[in-house]
Order: sequence, then structure tokens, then C-alpha cells
Amino acid sequence: MSSAEPQTLKQQVTLLDLVDRVLNKGVVLSGDITLSVADVDLVYVGLRVLLASVATLEEPRERLSADGARP
Amino acid sequence: MSSAATEPLRRNSVGWYLYGVAAAEDASTRVTSPLAAGTEEEVELVAEGPLVGVVSRVSLHEFDESVLPERLSDANWLEQKIRAHEQVLERVLEDASVVPCRFCTVYRSEAELRRFLSERRGALEAALDRVRGKVEVGVKAFIDRDRFAAGLAKENDDFRELTVHVSTAEGGRAYLERRRLEQLVASELEGFRGEAAGRIHARLLAAAEDGLALALQAPELSGREEEMIFNGAYLVTANRDAFEEALASLARDVGGDGVDLELTGPWPAYNFVPEELGAE
Repeated sequence: MSSAEPQTLKQQVTLLDLVDRVLNKGVVLSGDITLSVADVDLVYVGLRVLLASVATLEEPRERLSADGARP
Repeated sequence: MSSAATEPLRRNSVGWYLYGVAAAEDASTRVTSPLAAGTEEEVELVAEGPLVGVVSRVSLHEFDESVLPERLSDANWLEQKIRAHEQVLERVLEDASVVPCRFCTVYRSEAELRRFLSERRGALEAALDRVRGKVEVGVKAFIDRDRFAAGLAKENDDFRELTVHVSTAEGGRAYLERRRLEQLVASELEGFRGEAAGRIHARLLAAAEDGLALALQAPELSGREEEMIFNGAYLVTANRDAFEEALASLARDVGGDGVDLELTGPWPAYNFVPEELGAE
């Protein structure tokens, strides 16, 4: 990666930012159909496939778990 | 889940997908005009007392619990639906404050949807009050290791000397010195991460109504080479000038240490609505 400018302020929305909000945040209502935690995990698995298909990924590092939490 | 889930799934049966809830007096029917090409969702406003539910009629064949897991593993379906969910809410946000619902909140009938809006009216109005006139923005901080090391060399004589050694040394000695430099950078970085994250959050929080530190995004998901050291969400007034000024000034201050800030949003206030909405 090239060295960046001293500071950058970008407006950048990635699919991951969307997923982190749309799937993990927002009001959980007693809808007749709602996503379970297992469903959401499934989405992150799907997302991995999706991102791998659109982005050139480096070797995954092991520092963080799938949901982005620190170990 | 609900007993209805065990009913046999009828093809063509309709569900009501709820994107979010707004105040009836603010929400504009503009949101019901067709969305951008590529999405097929037709948006409707269902008014119930002082509230409106922003909904689309969807096929239960597509959203029923029995088929949902399969859908969720279809990356293309998922991306399209997630983007549509956000797109609809952003259009609502142009005119009205909105309480965003979580992805795939679906009712089996309009009556159930209306019953929900009416039973949870108080909690929904309280949630709306909290986000009225405000939006969420995201701020992520990444560290560029090379610039961090260069910053260290500028401040610290030993570091500078070692950096010079590394650039002039040859053969095996060069390797050892480079290793030593890398280890020193890593150990400095160890303390810096948390300290910088705390400083960034405090400065931004002072310019916002509220704020949260979120979980860091996994590098294999973010696709970023630089390490993320902070991921925050802030509730700010719809006029974001003060917050963006604070952010620009902060970016200048931390830039010398190799930290880049990224702004996302404005978002519906996903992180500033209650997760559970109790009945009254």
C-alpha cells in the first residue's frame, strides 16, 4: 500500500459498515418473523464469501474473531 | 418462535417487512416513490395514531423462517436486501427522524403490524424523541505502521539513529537491526493503540450528543491492510458542522502519528435506539 497523505478524511461506506448496522443494530421488535443470532452468524459467513468475491484479500489474520470483537 | 411459524407455508402469501418507524407528521410520502433501478421494493407508509410504519409487502415465500437461512447464505440476495433496507431508511431520513428496525422484521398481516405499532406506541415515541433532529455518523481510525514509525523517529533520538542504521547497514547486520527496529515499533504501538483510541473517542464525544465505541472490524472482512484501532458511532445534530470541524481538527492532530480517520454516514441512528422495545 502506498504511503498516504498526512491525514485523510474520507466518506466511505462499505458493505461491512452496512451489515454491522442493519443486521446487528436497530430496534428488535417482536415481529412475527425476526432474525435469530444464528441467522446473523450465517450472514457473516455469507458476507465473507461476498467480500472474497469482490475484494482482493490478504491472508486473514487471526487477531480478530469473525464478529470483529477482540479475543 | 411464534406458533404461526409452524403453519404450512402458502405460496404467494404476503408479509409486511418493517424498515422503521417515524412520526406521521414528519414522514413524507416521497419515500413511496420507486427506488433506484435494481431494487423492486415498493414502499408504503402505514399510519397508526401518531406513528407511521415504513413497510414493503414481501412474499413470505422469500422471507419465511423456513426459507430464511437458505436466503441468508445467498450473498447476492443478502447484499441487495441489506442495501435496500438502508436505502429506504435514508430516504425517510431526508424528511423525518426514524427509528430503524433490524433487518428482516416481518409481520404476517397488516393487522399484526398495526397492533404492534399501537401496543408499542409509548416506547416507539420515546425512541423517536431521542433521535429527533439527529443522525448517526461513524468514525473509524486506522494506523499506518510506516508513518507511525516515521513519527517515532522524529520524536525520539534513539529511534532516529536506529532508523538511519537500518537504512545504511548491509548483510546480516541490516537484518538484525531491521528486526530490532520492528520490535521497537511493535512495542510502542502496543501502548499507543489504546491511548489513541481513548483520545479520539473523548474528543469526538465532546462534539456529539452521544457516542459509542463499537467492536473493531475484522481485517479479513474490512479488506483494509492498515490496522483498525478505533470504531465509533456518534449521535449528532442533523447539521453536522460542529462535529465535522472537531473531526477535521482531530485528524490533523493524530495524522502525524500515522492515524487516518474515516467518516461514514449520515446513518439512521441504528446504534442509538433501544435494542429491545418492551410492551407497555
